[in-house]
Amino acid sequence: MNDLLPFLPGQLDQVFDGITYFMPEIYLSVLFLVVLVTDLLFDKTSGWLCRIIACAGLALVIFKDLEQFRLLLTGPHFFFDQMLLLHQTSLVFKLVIDALSILLLLYFEWDDDLNSHPRGLSDLYSISIAAIFAMHLMTMSVNLLSVYLSVEMVSIASYLMVAYRAGGLSSEAGLKYVLFGAASSAIMLYGISLLYGFGGSLDLFGGNLLPGLMRVNPIAVSFALILFLAGIGFKLSFVPMHFWVPDIYQGAPAPVSAFLSTVTKIAAFGLLINFLTPFIYFPKFPMVFDFSLFLSIIGILTMIVGNFAATLQNNIKRMLAYSSIGHTGFALMALVTFTAQGKSALTFYLIAYALANTGAWMLASYFANTAKAENISDLKGLGFKYPVAGVCFVILLISLTGLPVTAGFYGKFLAFSSVYAAYQQNHNIGLLLLMITGAVTTVVSLFYYISIPLNLFLRKTERTTGFASSNPFLLLSVAIISLLIVFLGLFPDILVK
Amino acid sequence: MNILSLLIFTPLLFGLLIILLPSAWRASFKYIALLATLVQLGISIWMYLHFKTGTAYAGVNNEGQFQFVQKLPWINLDLGTLGKMQIDYFIGIDGLSITLVLMSSVVMVIAALACWEIKSNLKGFFSLFLLLNAAVIGVFCALDFFLFYIFYELMLLPLYFLIGMWGGARREYAAIKFFLYTLFGSVFMLLVMIGLYLSVKDPATGNHTFNIVQMMNPANYDANSVFSVLGHQTLLGMPARTVGFVVLFIAFAIKVPVVPLHTWLPDAHVEAPTPVSIILAGILLKIGGYGIIRVCLGIFPEVAASGAFWLGLLGVISILYGALNALAQRDLKRMIAYSSVSHMGFVLLGIASLTAEGISGAVMQMVSHGFLATMLFFLAGVVYNRVHDRDIYNFRGLGTAMPRYTTFVMIAFFASLGLPGFSAFIGEAFSLVGAFESPSVNGALPYWMAVCGSAGILLSAAYFLWTLQRMFFGSLSLKGGDVWKTALVDLNFREIITLLPLALLTLALGVMPSLVFDKINDSVLALVEFTKHIIR
Repeated sequence: MNDLLPFLPGQLDQVFDGITYFMPEIYLSVLFLVVLVTDLLFDKTSGWLCRIIACAGLALVIFKDLEQFRLLLTGPHFFFDQMLLLHQTSLVFKLVIDALSILLLLYFEWDDDLNSHPRGLSDLYSISIAAIFAMHLMTMSVNLLSVYLSVEMVSIASYLMVAYRAGGLSSEAGLKYVLFGAASSAIMLYGISLLYGFGGSLDLFGGNLLPGLMRVNPIAVSFALILFLAGIGFKLSFVPMHFWVPDIYQGAPAPVSAFLSTVTKIAAFGLLINFLTPFIYFPKFPMVFDFSLFLSIIGILTMIVGNFAATLQNNIKRMLAYSSIGHTGFALMALVTFTAQGKSALTFYLIAYALANTGAWMLASYFANTAKAENISDLKGLGFKYPVAGVCFVILLISLTGLPVTAGFYGKFLAFSSVYAAYQQNHNIGLLLLMITGAVTTVVSLFYYISIPLNLFLRKTERTTGFASSNPFLLLSVAIISLLIVFLGLFPDILVK
Repeated sequence: MNILSLLIFTPLLFGLLIILLPSAWRASFKYIALLATLVQLGISIWMYLHFKTGTAYAGVNNEGQFQFVQKLPWINLDLGTLGKMQIDYFIGIDGLSITLVLMSSVVMVIAALACWEIKSNLKGFFSLFLLLNAAVIGVFCALDFFLFYIFYELMLLPLYFLIGMWGGARREYAAIKFFLYTLFGSVFMLLVMIGLYLSVKDPATGNHTFNIVQMMNPANYDANSVFSVLGHQTLLGMPARTVGFVVLFIAFAIKVPVVPLHTWLPDAHVEAPTPVSIILAGILLKIGGYGIIRVCLGIFPEVAASGAFWLGLLGVISILYGALNALAQRDLKRMIAYSSVSHMGFVLLGIASLTAEGISGAVMQMVSHGFLATMLFFLAGVVYNRVHDRDIYNFRGLGTAMPRYTTFVMIAFFASLGLPGFSAFIGEAFSLVGAFESPSVNGALPYWMAVCGSAGILLSAAYFLWTLQRMFFGSLSLKGGDVWKTALVDLNFREIITLLPLALLTLALGVMPSLVFDKINDSVLALVEFTKHIIR
């Protein structure tokens, strides 16, 4: 103990120094406690209160996020003993995650299926706040230990969320998710332990890990890296780690699926960027393991598998699940370039995707609430009965397909541009193939996305009974999202600034 | 307010009005739509009359010579290492577009008059109709590739719903087929567009630009960029500029449509309601032709010149294949659809000749076909609305039952088959003159293509005259018997005032082709001169 004494002041200074960079996360952890206590104090009826507190708290967190831009004027900053790194991309990702989370937390109650849960939703709010906290960590982790901890924290929260509404498909989905998730994090941990063994360090930016890895047999290193990427791939749901997605998105309540397919994915991309950065900028590492090639192949496979499988689906949730796999592939395309432009294209693409996707899940809830429509064919003729919802659905799906005038188009356009620019520099054939696959799968994706407007508007139904009403705010927020999507399609520069 | 922007956004404003009005007023929607198209027609006539001609206003590759220009910065992104992304709201017209804009406005009025047959879900129909209208005019006016692309894609969704919701029995199939075909062409166009954007720099600002006019100048290309004229880069082992040209050409050829990419057209035309058929045949096909002239020929002239043989070949195949198919059809609308394929083949043949006569003929043929296809589809709609049948063999001797109708049918048929005195004659004749001249001037096309093209005129005479004989001559005999006889009343006032201007226009253009040629001549000469210059 006495030996450590000289180090303590330095350590403490570091911690205190780090706290200024950790303010949003501190607010989040306090928020988690407050929501939890509220839930305990007010018992079952506390759902609405927890919801208000959670959303207001998140608004405060966003405010704190915005304040952090000031800290970044001097460049990226390591803190907590090189465990975390605050940089421009991570901060933007945090902001996006928080803003979307408010929308998603509001959405929880609007889904009748989830809202009819006898235990109430108050627990769900505290779980999601914990998940958001862990996602913040994911976007900032630069040490394999913090990487693993944050991923695991998100996973555990997600398991609870998926299985929240026990009974029926939800329990099954929850169990499946736990089993697959546990297996994949075990694989990831194995990869991390191998990397630690080879490199002698857990610190990605520390300067010891990579030279260490260079000295080891490349095949062994590649093996370790692939194990690690398999863990992240599970969160990102890229091929071949995508198999769990359709079952779990279908079984989980729609808002939870929306949560998993948007914010979790964004956080996982943030983590992937952190992990890849040192490898990309380390000279000669591509000789050992070519991330660019590896991710190009994964991206192409993911686009093809996700989009083609989606054409075969009849269940709305399954279709959205496969389509989100396809979008992962497309987003990987923007990431593969590793340029600044590629990163901003990725960010824009993810925002556009997350917004439209959230809206689409909301509409899936809306039509489940009002007309008990689970399958695409159940939507037959409903566009005339619910014109606003129908038109919004068309706009959102058009954005997901990537046609003008929507944010989705601009996201696709930016992604293509960044890949093209990279191609012009290095004439890498893989990039060209990525673009061609991206273009072809866009046409394929139209085929399944359009099947919803097709049923909504082109077909007629004789059905006149069995309609219920839905929460009006659900429709309102979908309408706002749709307008936002069109607005961003017309004036995208507002967001990019 | 720029007059061209007004032209583009007038229908959008009226469309918004229709959306906001309560559904109880649905009876007024068609009048609002008609008013919107009439306002548009007024604006384009004004523009036509004030359009300045002369070599100083040729346009094409000279930005300063475009007229009614509006250029506003639209999307400006700082992309760090890649400089700034410069997307302008840049519209303007030259001789190549002015006649097409006027023709489109006329066709839109006719289409609006044909909307009287639509009975269900009027609010949806008219708002989509007006959105389509704005997008179509926007395509002809846009000079920024990004803007062009936005308008180009914006047409798809309204058309999908217009065909899919108000179409015939196989409307779902026709609508999705049309959508997938066109999107397939346009996503790859997007890739080429981005490639061009990253290759071209605006000399004034040093930023990459989407400006189509700047893309025409080889000096604006970065030396080591993918589409650089002198760089001779390759894509997948093929010359990059050839790949770019082919991709763009396929995108537009799907629209034209060029055989073998035409299979969506008969389905879409047959299933679409009359007003949509009119817009499809009258305007959308011209967007393909216009795109080939403005974009393919303008940006890749040297590839177009070296590939002129293949373009001409595709044109000739379209002419003959379309005509032979038209001969074999029983369905009146399908017959007309295939005749469109055949007639648009002349446009491609004229363009491929790369001569002033050929390109003028191509533009003339587009204008003429715009009016004639409109008239033909409207006439087919007249019979279909009355008895819900279009089979040529189910009618005989209509000449005695519907004399006024028969008169207009004869005018439309004779004009379409290229009778001298009507516009199609001028268009086809000039295209063929260009094709005949080409071997001696630039060697782009061999003689036999021009000869085969002429054979197409003969075939078109065959199918039109044969149809006329089958349906209208002889004694009256109908499949539906007396029910049909009472249903088949002659043209009413609305239909006559719709058809009369079209008939007069096609006659006027046949007698005074200078109405079109005077406006386009300078631009066509500039285009030909410019392509020659680049090729050398």
